[in-house]
Amino acid sequence: MAEKAILYDATRCTACRGCQAACKQWNENDEFIPTVENGVPSVNRGSYENPPDLSPTTWLKMEFREIAPNGNVRWLFNRRSCMHCTDAGCVKVCPSGALYHHELGFVAYDKDICTGCGYCIDACPFQVPRSERSLISGIAKADKCTFCTTPSLDRIAEGLEPACVKTCPPAALQYGDRSQLIAEGKKRVEALIAKGWTNANLYGEKELGGLHVMYVLDDHPAVYGLPVDPQIAASTIAWQDVIQPIGWVVGGLTILGLGFNYLVARANINREKEKKDAARS
Amino acid sequence: MRQEVEKYSKPTRILHWVHLVSFCVLFLTGLVLFVPGLGIIAQDSWTRVIHRIAAAIFIIAPIIYIPLNWKATLRGIKEAFSWSADDIGWLKAAPRYYFLGDEAGMPPQGAMNTGQRLWWLIVLVSGVVFTITGLVMWFAKTTASAGVLQWMVFFHDVAFILAGAMLLLHIYLGVIHPLMTEAWKSIYKGTISSEYAKKHHAKWYKEVTRGKEVKS
Repeated sequence: MAEKAILYDATRCTACRGCQAACKQWNENDEFIPTVENGVPSVNRGSYENPPDLSPTTWLKMEFREIAPNGNVRWLFNRRSCMHCTDAGCVKVCPSGALYHHELGFVAYDKDICTGCGYCIDACPFQVPRSERSLISGIAKADKCTFCTTPSLDRIAEGLEPACVKTCPPAALQYGDRSQLIAEGKKRVEALIAKGWTNANLYGEKELGGLHVMYVLDDHPAVYGLPVDPQIAASTIAWQDVIQPIGWVVGGLTILGLGFNYLVARANINREKEKKDAARS
Repeated sequence: MRQEVEKYSKPTRILHWVHLVSFCVLFLTGLVLFVPGLGIIAQDSWTRVIHRIAAAIFIIAPIIYIPLNWKATLRGIKEAFSWSADDIGWLKAAPRYYFLGDEAGMPPQGAMNTGQRLWWLIVLVSGVVFTITGLVMWFAKTTASAGVLQWMVFFHDVAFILAGAMLLLHIYLGVIHPLMTEAWKSIYKGTISSEYAKKHHAKWYKEVTRGKEVKS
């Protein structure tokens, strides 16, 4: 099946945060609202960003950045959520298969079988998965964007687009076949370059084997707070691709070796005994 | 009646069993994260809660044992790090002994033979590695950097592979191997017969009997 993806065009985004609200509403991520009425003193963080970060109940949030190249202030918006990597660190380390690649390419998540180990949180190059965690008992559950495929809330299976895409007023978010969105994204980047945005680029086409959320940017990814050339950490590779296979070989050889030793030793020792008994009688 | 000599004191035996049982629980609840197909039985964190309870016992048991048995602890640690030419001889002769039952080349051994001492050293080193990396993963999960936490898992896994494989060998030699007829008794009742001691731990037997033959 053709891989699906989301294309986010930062140059079209108005930062209305409709996607953020639609994401919460569709996925039933209601949360405690920290208002003065709820006993939480208001805090001025110097930004329109709210809430301050992704959380187990905030799978998508809009980031606001102010930059001033050559003294001209620019206000940049960036969509922060799961990037749905092809080469996904979280899928690589998830011991239970709770995080897995959907047949349409993105990273789906079966929360029921999450063990709460939190490996995905440390393996994600984008710091996306979050969890509620009891530090003493270790009881935890991870959460992240499921590309609207949460069981019983599965929009994709119903042929619908993700909630964030559906709600986006300026059509800065688009859903469709990944290959078509790459072509569309490249066209927009070319148009931006023609307009004088010489650093314009399409982020996510090749990163980590290809992301299933791609970005049309009018400047370097770093300016938008996106990691340039994100990689699976060396520790993840050393652990998953080296140590774990070695563990299987060592464990297997140990069990085989002990079984072999038992058979040989028993036969030999019985023979010795018989010899002794024969000598005695 | 056969003469018995004490091999392991009661506190040492209690520590052994508490540590073994807690380690087996840690082994099994850790294994479910190693085997992708088993991960599913760990859902809702319950194996991780048991892992933590067992970890607490695993760490606290020696902390109680050490100050109460200071001399035995020092002797044990010294023994883990004292290696001699006899150990090379033992390693060379061991395959013939364990496979063929041929004792001819086996050098006389102390309270612990070379193999036991090797395992004891792994228990000490992996115990420290497990404890440090485990405590970081447990209590610094939300504060340590992702890189640090990933390397902690890595070294926890390395210790797991080494100590886990050697644990299988340890249990095999203690319970199943046809020649180790009294290893089980030594750690269960605390004593071994003088014949077994002479055969398997000649150097140690000489020390405890101060050269005098114990009459059977």
